[in-house]
Amino acid sequence: MPETRLETIRQPSAAKISRKGFWKILGVYFALFGPGIITSNVDNDAGGITTYSLAGSEFGLTLLWTLIPITLALIVIQEMCARMGVVTGKGLSGLIRERFGAKATFYLMIALFFTNLGNTISEFAGVAASLEIFGVSKYLSVPLSAFFVWSLVVKGSYKSVEKAFLVACLFYLSYIISGFIARPDWGMITTEFLTPTLYFDANFLTMAVAIVGTTIAPWMQFYLQSSVVDKGLKVEDYQFARLDVIVGSVIVNIVAFFIVMLCAVTIFQAGVKIETAKDAALALAPLAGKYSTWLFAFGLLNASLFAASILPLSTSYTICEAFGWESSLNRKFAEAPQFYGLYSLMIFLGAGFILFPDVPLIAIMFYSQVINGTLLPFILIFMLILVNDRKIMGNYTNGWIMNLISYLTIILLIVLSGSMIFTSLR
Amino acid sequence: MDPLATIKEKGLCKLGRECYKIISLEVVRMAVNATPQVFLFLSQILGKKMVDPEGRRIGRVSDLIVNIADLYPLVRSVLFLPVGGEKPSRLPWEKISEAGDQLVVPSLSRERQTEAAIGEGELLLKDSLLDKQIVDTHGAKVLRVNDLHLLKVNHSLRLVHVDVGLRGLMRRVGLEKAMDKFFKWFFDYHLADYLIPWRYVQPLSSPALLRLKISQTRLGQLHPAELADIIEELDIHKRSEVFQSLDVETAAEALEETDPKIQVRLIENLNPAQASDIIEEMSPSEAADLLGDLPKDKAEGILKEMEKEMAEDVKELLVHPEEKAGGLMTSSFPSLPPQAMVKEALDLLRQQAENLDLIYYLYVTDEEGHLFGVASLRGLLMANPQTPLSALMDSRVVTVSLEEEKEEIADLFAKYGFKAIPVVDETNRIKGVIPFKSLLEVVAPQLGK
Repeated sequence: MPETRLETIRQPSAAKISRKGFWKILGVYFALFGPGIITSNVDNDAGGITTYSLAGSEFGLTLLWTLIPITLALIVIQEMCARMGVVTGKGLSGLIRERFGAKATFYLMIALFFTNLGNTISEFAGVAASLEIFGVSKYLSVPLSAFFVWSLVVKGSYKSVEKAFLVACLFYLSYIISGFIARPDWGMITTEFLTPTLYFDANFLTMAVAIVGTTIAPWMQFYLQSSVVDKGLKVEDYQFARLDVIVGSVIVNIVAFFIVMLCAVTIFQAGVKIETAKDAALALAPLAGKYSTWLFAFGLLNASLFAASILPLSTSYTICEAFGWESSLNRKFAEAPQFYGLYSLMIFLGAGFILFPDVPLIAIMFYSQVINGTLLPFILIFMLILVNDRKIMGNYTNGWIMNLISYLTIILLIVLSGSMIFTSLR
Repeated sequence: MDPLATIKEKGLCKLGRECYKIISLEVVRMAVNATPQVFLFLSQILGKKMVDPEGRRIGRVSDLIVNIADLYPLVRSVLFLPVGGEKPSRLPWEKISEAGDQLVVPSLSRERQTEAAIGEGELLLKDSLLDKQIVDTHGAKVLRVNDLHLLKVNHSLRLVHVDVGLRGLMRRVGLEKAMDKFFKWFFDYHLADYLIPWRYVQPLSSPALLRLKISQTRLGQLHPAELADIIEELDIHKRSEVFQSLDVETAAEALEETDPKIQVRLIENLNPAQASDIIEEMSPSEAADLLGDLPKDKAEGILKEMEKEMAEDVKELLVHPEEKAGGLMTSSFPSLPPQAMVKEALDLLRQQAENLDLIYYLYVTDEEGHLFGVASLRGLLMANPQTPLSALMDSRVVTVSLEEEKEEIADLFAKYGFKAIPVVDETNRIKGVIPFKSLLEVVAPQLGK
């Protein structure tokens, strides 16, 4: 008798579950397909777009092929972070602190702070540049965007922030649309994409290094791992996290592909000389139509704003986790002073720097990538030690093939970063 | 010198006055009759050179082993890395003497040094505490350990405080003096150490530490809402470890205060029997919300394990959507027939108070549950015990239907200032009561988070 009662009661509650079902599935989708894709999209920031446009407009399609090995390296590195996040449930900075102690962590965090500050400055430079195309002065656009970004996190709740970011990801389509508007010769592009070309020319090599440096940045590893942890992914969900990373890494490079290609078939072929992403956007107007310019500028604005919100946030999270300070978007300012303090400071300094008259924007963007490149090898070495530690990873350490690939990737990155620093200091 | 004064002068404790007194007295009690007493930090001991009586180097200190069962754990042994050796060995602390910056080991013990095995009830200070997360049960915070503060009385060494401050961090980095000078010069301020007495510290680094008897009482000192905040702040593995270390009652209270998503995760990791034990301790409405969020088969498994009466209540609540009156209400409220006396009502409340979700109102109903009126606790206390409820009750009861939306209910609460509103069906039979707290959680979920 009780059995039948249970059935009758179950009926309406089943309806309740199915009403929730759609949102649940959507929720699971975002839970599993979130961190990797967001990280990757933030990766195509102002610095990235500038580098890709310069690569396309100065060297045509010859550098397009580098995106294939870069995608692979990106997948290898990010997969380790996602795996560490899922297995340990801890952020990368927390793991580094627990494994390598206070001293190493302290200096690493200082370096990361300044590196990410450099990146934040270049994001606000991107905001300024893109809005100047629409005729807005940087003295208006930069303070407004800084306040927008700041209030998004300090005043808003985490939910709306995340939704805003997810919607923002869709705007990257504008680059792909721009690419199609330009009506390129697809046969030639495919050939160039699949044939590695290498010139032993200093400018060419520096540009190749810059593409690597802007695509694989130190902050990404911390951000990705924290997001994976935040989502609370379980070991059983790990394969989804891996898929998420792979999809994300491919998306970054698809967007990069279209920017390089767009600039190559228009600006490079027309022989126009450009120096910034803004130049690139403006140069597109006579060659590919004014809609291309607008889409390009809009894409740059969105990329810069998106990255400008995430970089300071990620930096504060990372540092607070390392030092055990309260860090949560659910806390109020007074409850997590270090967290919000760091966040506000980075936005203040990042935006403030751009407001100086005659500030050398190109140099800032370039040097912020040089610092990125310098810090990256250290972080990768820490990561490799952690991911191979059985006490931390249990049965989820790297296999020998994975280790071989990661060591090769890291050695290559160290050589590239080293040569970039060498060339930039010469 | 008076130890109390020393502590006060050095600003050793940043906590409130009350707590400061307790700690100081404890430290004094420990230090009483003892002449040479020195505070020192773990970071100052780690890496110290160990030599034999002839001054030959033996190795370096790599860790300290304490007895975890002590109120202030006593250092039993030193773990050291022998010269040229890879594996650490251990030596009893009392065999070691100090000479300047070095630790002197009697030469005989060189052969007798034992393997570095950790015994029952022992804790490695560096390995399980330094740089790891702990819960400060007094301040209700999750913090990271920067250093450990030890007190040496005669030759015995005890762990007394955990250093979680900036100064401790800078000491580890090796910039403590530089930072002190900077603060003095720039702010004219002396930064004090931020120390937490060991008795307010709950280590988290291993499940074994959480399962210790002594620990349970420590996390039990926290208010359930604080405990819930702490659980939310921990990583996914530690959450389960901490949650599973709690006794059933504390776990249920903490669970009620936890974010619904995390609730589901915590319960999913338990088997149905454990889960049902905890859920039975929750209020029916909270339990129904939680079970409604669980996967169907898991929820049914738990319902089967639960006490019949509670399971029935919960199933009834499960039928209603969470955002409407039926989903907000609880079925655990007091009711009596109109002919019952005030005395009976007070007796009922006294007996049932512990298990009722709501005691401020007593609902007057017939046997089928038709609602006639309501008597407030205040009214009952003031009335003559021999008055029948029918004479005392207020028959103008504000009720809502099962399908009422949360906004409408919120309006009623705001208008009348009730602590609870009864929910009735079409024939005016009482189905449950919505306590203000349940409504607040739905209408303003961001408050208090």
